Amino acid sequence: MTFELGYGTNGFANHRLHDALAVIADLGYTGVALTLDHHHLDPYGPNVAAETERVAARLDALGLRVVVETGARYLLDPTRKHHPTLVSDDQDTRVDFLLRAADIAADLGADCVSFWSGVSDVDEATAWKRLRDGVARLLDACPRVPFGLEPEPGMAVQHLTEALTLRTELGEPEMLGITLDVGHCVAVEPDDAATCVRQAGELLVNVQLDDMVHGVHEHLEFGAGTLDLAATLAALTEVGYTGLAAVELPRHSHAAPDVARRSMAALRAAMDPPWLVEAEARVRADAAAIRSLFPAVGRHVGRDAVRPRVDARGWVHGTADDLARARLIAALPDASELPDLYRYGDDAEKRGVLRGLRPSTDPSVGVPIVQDALRTNDPRLVAAAMGPFAAAHLDRHAWRHGVLKCLFMGIPLGAVSRLDDLADAELARMVADFAAERQAAGRAVPVDATDLLRKARA
Amino acid sequence: MRIFDPHIHMTSRTTDDYEAMYAAGVRALVEPAFWLGQPRTSAASFADYFDALIGWERFRAAQFGIRHHCTIALNPKEANDPRCTPVLDLLPRYLGKDGVVAVGEVGYDSMTPEEDAAFARQLELAVEFELPALVHTPHRDKASGTSRTLAVVRESGLPPERVVVDHLNEVTVREVKDSGCWMGFSIYPDTKMDEDRMVAILQEYGTDRMLVNSAADWGRSDPLKTVKTARAMLASGFTESDVDKVLWQNPVEFYGQSGRLVLDDLPGFSPSPETFSGNSVLRGGGQ
Repeated sequence: MTFELGYGTNGFANHRLHDALAVIADLGYTGVALTLDHHHLDPYGPNVAAETERVAARLDALGLRVVVETGARYLLDPTRKHHPTLVSDDQDTRVDFLLRAADIAADLGADCVSFWSGVSDVDEATAWKRLRDGVARLLDACPRVPFGLEPEPGMAVQHLTEALTLRTELGEPEMLGITLDVGHCVAVEPDDAATCVRQAGELLVNVQLDDMVHGVHEHLEFGAGTLDLAATLAALTEVGYTGLAAVELPRHSHAAPDVARRSMAALRAAMDPPWLVEAEARVRADAAAIRSLFPAVGRHVGRDAVRPRVDARGWVHGTADDLARARLIAALPDASELPDLYRYGDDAEKRGVLRGLRPSTDPSVGVPIVQDALRTNDPRLVAAAMGPFAAAHLDRHAWRHGVLKCLFMGIPLGAVSRLDDLADAELARMVADFAAERQAAGRAVPVDATDLLRKARA
Repeated sequence: MRIFDPHIHMTSRTTDDYEAMYAAGVRALVEPAFWLGQPRTSAASFADYFDALIGWERFRAAQFGIRHHCTIALNPKEANDPRCTPVLDLLPRYLGKDGVVAVGEVGYDSMTPEEDAAFARQLELAVEFELPALVHTPHRDKASGTSRTLAVVRESGLPPERVVVDHLNEVTVREVKDSGCWMGFSIYPDTKMDEDRMVAILQEYGTDRMLVNSAADWGRSDPLKTVKTARAMLASGFTESDVDKVLWQNPVEFYGQSGRLVLDDLPGFSPSPETFSGNSVLRGGGQ
C-alpha cells in the first residue's frame, strides 16, 4: 500500500464542510487535508466536541483519511492575516490554537497536524529562538498525534534544510515530522521536489500537492507551473511514503469542484502505469487487441482494492485491475467485443466487463451480461453488476432482486448505484419481508437493510 | 520435502487426493489440458473445460493449500476430430490468462496430418504468447514419434529451453537431452515409468532439465508418485538438495518462464470458508 490522494478543504472555502467532503470523496480522493477555520470545524466554536464527532462520522462514512491543517488566514486575528505566529512577540495564542488542533486531530483519527513557522519581523536569531521554544512547548504538551513542520516561502522556516535543522536542535523528537508542499520546492528550494521528497524521506508525515514556478509563491493547478508531477509522485512511492498527499489550491475555491476534478485527472495521468496507457492506445487502434490485453491486466497493474480501508475486498469501489479493465473497455469504439470478453473471462475479467458497463453502453449487449452476473452466487460479480448501467437499464423487477441479492449475500449496498433515487415502495416491502424472515429465524438483519427501511419510512 | 507436480489432471481426482498430496508435501502443480477419456464433440465443451482449469479447479486446489496452474491446448488425440478443431481459434482467449503457464499438451498421438497442423499452429501460439510448451509424446511408436516431435519443435523457432518433451523413457531420453529441451517423466503404477527406473535415469543423465510428474488422471494412476520418486532418490543416495532440485526447483524454473507462477503460501494455511460461485467444496466451510 502506497500513499493516498486527498484534497485540501481550504480549496473549498465557499462550501459547507460536509458538502465539500462529499464532493471530494465523489471525485475519487480518499483523504482530505482539513484546514480548521471559522466556518470549517471552528476550534473556538461553542460545540466543538460535538462538531468534531459529526465530522469524524462524516469522514468515516465517506471513507476519507484526514490530516489537520492550521493555515487559516483570519482565525486568530480578524485584522492581520496568519497572525499571531510562533515567531510573534506573543506566541501564546498560536500555541493554544495548535494544541487545540492537535486534540481535534486526535479525536478525528487524523494522521498529524501541520503547521508553519510564521513571517518574522525581528532579527533572525530572535525569531529562531522563539520558534524553537514554541515548538518545544507543543511537544512538551504530549500531543496524541505528530506535528508536521511545513517550510513556507517567506517564513522563518522556508527551506526543508531549516526544518531539518530545527528538528535536530530539538533532539529529533519522534512527534515532530515534516510536511512538504511540493510546489514550495519549485518556488524556493535549490533542488527539485523529487529530491526534497527523498531528503525528507521517512520524516514525511504530510504532503501537499500543487504546481508553481520558480521564484513565485503562487499555488497553481497541475501543468500551469514547472513541477514534474510524475517524478514527484514516483519519489513518494520510492521513499515508502504511506500518508496522505493532498492537493493544496487555496485560491481556487470559486471553482473548487472543477479544479478538484481536473487535479484528479492530472494525478491519475501522472500515476498511470505505462503499460495501461500503451494498452489503451492499442485498443483504440485495433479493438480486437483487447482480447489478449484484457486477461493480462492484473499482472501489469496489480489487483489491490482501490480503497482498502473502507472496502478491503473491492466489492464496492473495485480493484486496481477492475478500473484498468474498465478503461480498456472505454477505449473500444462500441460494445461488440463485450459478450466474448465476458463469456471467456475468468472471474476477474467478468468483473472488469461489469465495471466497464456505462449507462451509455448498448443495452442489448449489457443487459444479458448483467443478468448472467446476477444469476451467479459469486459476490464479486453480483456487486460489480449493480453499477450505473444496471441502474439505468435493468428492469425494475430485476434491479430490486439485485438489491435484495446483495443484502442476502452480505454485499454492502454501497455497491448499488443510485440506490437512494431508485429505491421504491416495492423494494421497501421486499426488504421488510427479508428482515422479518431473518428476525423470525433469530438471525441478524444487515445494517444496510435497516438503513434502507428507515429511509423508506422517512 | 516440498513437491511441485508439473503434470497432473486434478479435474479427475478427488478431494482425498488433494488432502493426501498436501500431507505428502505437494504445494504446487500444473494441470495440462488434455482429453477426458471420453471424446468431446464440440469446441464449446473445451471452453467449459478451460473455464474449469482457470477457475474452479484452481479454487478447489487452494482449499487444500495447493497452488494450481494450468496449460491450455487442443490435445493431439482430439486434433483429429473436425468437430473439435475450431477450438484452435479460441485458444488465444485463454493463453493470456493468469495461471496459464504453458501451451499444452500438444504433440502427436497417431502422427496424422491433422495432428501435424494442430501441433505446428500451437507452437506458433507459444511463440506469440511468450509461453513454454508442454509436448506429449505418443504412447505407440514412441521412439519415432519423439524424433518427429523434436524436428517440429526445431522448425517452430521456439527455443528448446522453453519446451518440455513429456512421457519419456529409457529409449527416448537421450535424444531429448541432446536437443536442449527439458525432459519429462510420468511415473505410473504399471506403465510409462516407475520410481526405480526413474532413479536409474537420473543417475545416468543427471538432474539438469529433468521433470518428474505423476500424470495422474481418470485412469489407474497415483498422485503421490512424485513423492514416492523423491523417497526412492533418497534411498539410492541422492541428497535432499538433489530431490528439491528435481521435484521443486526444476518445475519452478521451467514454468517460471511464463512469468505467471504464483508460489507464495496460501493464507493460513487452514481450510477457508471461501466459496467459488457459491460452492465451498468443503461442505460446511470447515467451520
